Amino acid sequence: MSRAFAIAWKDLRHTFRNPVALTMMLLAPLVLASLLGAAFGGGGGFNISATKTGIVNQDVGFQDFNAGNVVASALGSPDLKDLVTLEPLSSEAEAKSLVETGKNGVAVLIPADLSAAMQDATGTKKAAVTIYRNPTLIIGPGIVTGVVGSVVDALNGSRAAAAGTVGLLLGSGVTDQARLQQAGQAAVAAFAQEAQTTPGVAIQTRGPEVSGSTQTHKAGVAGQVLAGMMIFFMFIGASNAGRSIMDEDRQGTLSRLFTTPTTRATVLGGKYISVFVTILAQAVILLVAGRLIFGTYWGEALAVAVLTLAMVAVATGLGILVVSFMKTPQQAGALGSGVYLVLALAGGNFVGTTDPGGAFGTIRKFTPNGWLLNAWDITMRGGTLRDILTPVLICLAWAVVTFTTGTLVMRRRYR
Amino acid sequence: MSLIDVEGLHKQFDPPRGIVAVDGVSFHIDGGEIYSLLGPNGAGKSTTISMLSCLLRPTAGDARVDGHSVVQDPAAVKEVIGVVPQDIALYEDMTARENLIFWGKMYGLKDTELHARVDEVLELIDLVDRQKQRLDKYSGGMKRRVNIGVALLHRPKVLFLDEPTVGIDPQSRRAILDGIKTFNRQGMSVLYTTHYMEEAQELSHRIGIMDHGKMIAEGTHDELVKIVGEQTKVDLKLDRDDRALVDRWSALETVSKATAEDGHVRLLVTDARSVLPQLFEAAAEQGVRIIEINVAEPNLEMVFLHLTGRALRD
Repeated sequence: MSRAFAIAWKDLRHTFRNPVALTMMLLAPLVLASLLGAAFGGGGGFNISATKTGIVNQDVGFQDFNAGNVVASALGSPDLKDLVTLEPLSSEAEAKSLVETGKNGVAVLIPADLSAAMQDATGTKKAAVTIYRNPTLIIGPGIVTGVVGSVVDALNGSRAAAAGTVGLLLGSGVTDQARLQQAGQAAVAAFAQEAQTTPGVAIQTRGPEVSGSTQTHKAGVAGQVLAGMMIFFMFIGASNAGRSIMDEDRQGTLSRLFTTPTTRATVLGGKYISVFVTILAQAVILLVAGRLIFGTYWGEALAVAVLTLAMVAVATGLGILVVSFMKTPQQAGALGSGVYLVLALAGGNFVGTTDPGGAFGTIRKFTPNGWLLNAWDITMRGGTLRDILTPVLICLAWAVVTFTTGTLVMRRRYR
Repeated sequence: MSLIDVEGLHKQFDPPRGIVAVDGVSFHIDGGEIYSLLGPNGAGKSTTISMLSCLLRPTAGDARVDGHSVVQDPAAVKEVIGVVPQDIALYEDMTARENLIFWGKMYGLKDTELHARVDEVLELIDLVDRQKQRLDKYSGGMKRRVNIGVALLHRPKVLFLDEPTVGIDPQSRRAILDGIKTFNRQGMSVLYTTHYMEEAQELSHRIGIMDHGKMIAEGTHDELVKIVGEQTKVDLKLDRDDRALVDRWSALETVSKATAEDGHVRLLVTDARSVLPQLFEAAAEQGVRIIEINVAEPNLEMVFLHLTGRALRD
């Protein structure tokens, strides 16, 4: 056994003395996670930065009703405080200027006759709320547009209600204009009152439910991205470490090892230990870095430990399987990366940990990546070891099958 | 009793249609003996040494090293052999000391014994001062010394060296040959493969000449040279190739063998003094000018030429 550890130690030293290997193993996933995390809003939480929104409410109102205030109060709702920062402005020019200079993301411009148009039961008066947005922003302006659109729909509904009321009265023989106007306005007021107290849009930010347990944490964007990157680069790391057997074959040191009293099984065992320890070290370093740099909550300690070991086992098994079928280190590098990329794309390594459902969600289940991501998603949201038992067991099955197949091929090759 | 007994060793790659690299080779090596396998590239020397090192399994036949069969008990064989491969098989990102410690562990050495033996080997290969330097900073000759040092760590009874001087400078070559003689004086047996006649001649107690996978002659240097009798080798350089001239020379009574290549003709003759005028006369009649002529006493190359009709380097 000590000979196997000597081989493993020698390989580990080789790996950790190789700056290129270290960059691929540790730096690349962290850098990619940083970039993707920043692109999707940054930070450790699933936090979309609040969009600065300038609102110019020029609506003069109609009798006791002011539609502009309804729009403004909807945007200023406490439910939206994390998503929209509302700034009342006095002129359209100022609001547009703030968007153009990048200080604000959106400007909401409410015309003076909005309320009057809403009260017009005949439908002849028109008014439009203008959304002036920074074209480079997507999520924030989209939310503002959605909220305003919802409120405007509600207000349009009030106008339809008024028209309907007037129509009913006319149908029942009422021709008194004063009475008709009074009835229409009453319908609008009632509908608008409803819209004012119950905004037409309610936005809640929450992640998916954790099966079998209550979600206690939010899975941060950076953490989700890093989990995907970690799995992808661990697979590549395992392949690189496993490739050392071919490098030794090419250098002649493998043949020389086989002339010593050290058995071939011990040599292969040493190689496997080195792959396992390399990947385990990579996982631990990335998990700690994720915690320290991005503040990622990975989950309950026991669940994280078991999941990490399952992840390392899958990466080791897969690495040995891929390497066992390759003839040269170059082939292992090129084709191996291709295999891992396909698995990563199918498994969803680049789109976060959350199960997207549908066809893609089904495809994910055919890859170890998908199950690992699923398990990380659960632990990051507060799931326990019991919650991740299924994905962990499936991953271990993957590890056993790939490891056994790879070992059989290797033994036949180097017998 | 012999230290190594090789009996009808045979190796065919990818049977039944693959090439036969070694075809029924038999020989023995006594304890304390340096035995060289001499032959051109592709003769089967390295395949033979690979089978004796338990790297390749013979298709037929067997060999016993220190009484252990390479087929039945390779683990025991590996305990008593030290193998120096033709190419440097070391870890370049490790120091000489780290390499020796690693390989010592592979030979089963441990703790104090391991470190003491590494120190001894570093002395032996004269690299004590540079033991902490990574191998990628070493010269080719220094790497060769470490390459040999690794095979000495476990004090093997027999050292296998597979063409250890290929592609190295004369100074390193000399150091290696002297080192082998030293190890042998200390009681170590040596199996040495080479295609350099001079090395086999200088080092070996006995020599086996191989060609096309077969052992074509075996014995001491003197015994082998006797195969060609009192013959002398005459090398001639001509101003042009002339097949007819070579045929005329071959027909001379005192010429036993003639080979020609690129304007060079090599003859084995029984009486150099009487044949030389005849060679010049025939050349003059053919209109061919002899530019250079070398007359050499019988040696291993002549033996190979005599036995195969080809030069050793062919």
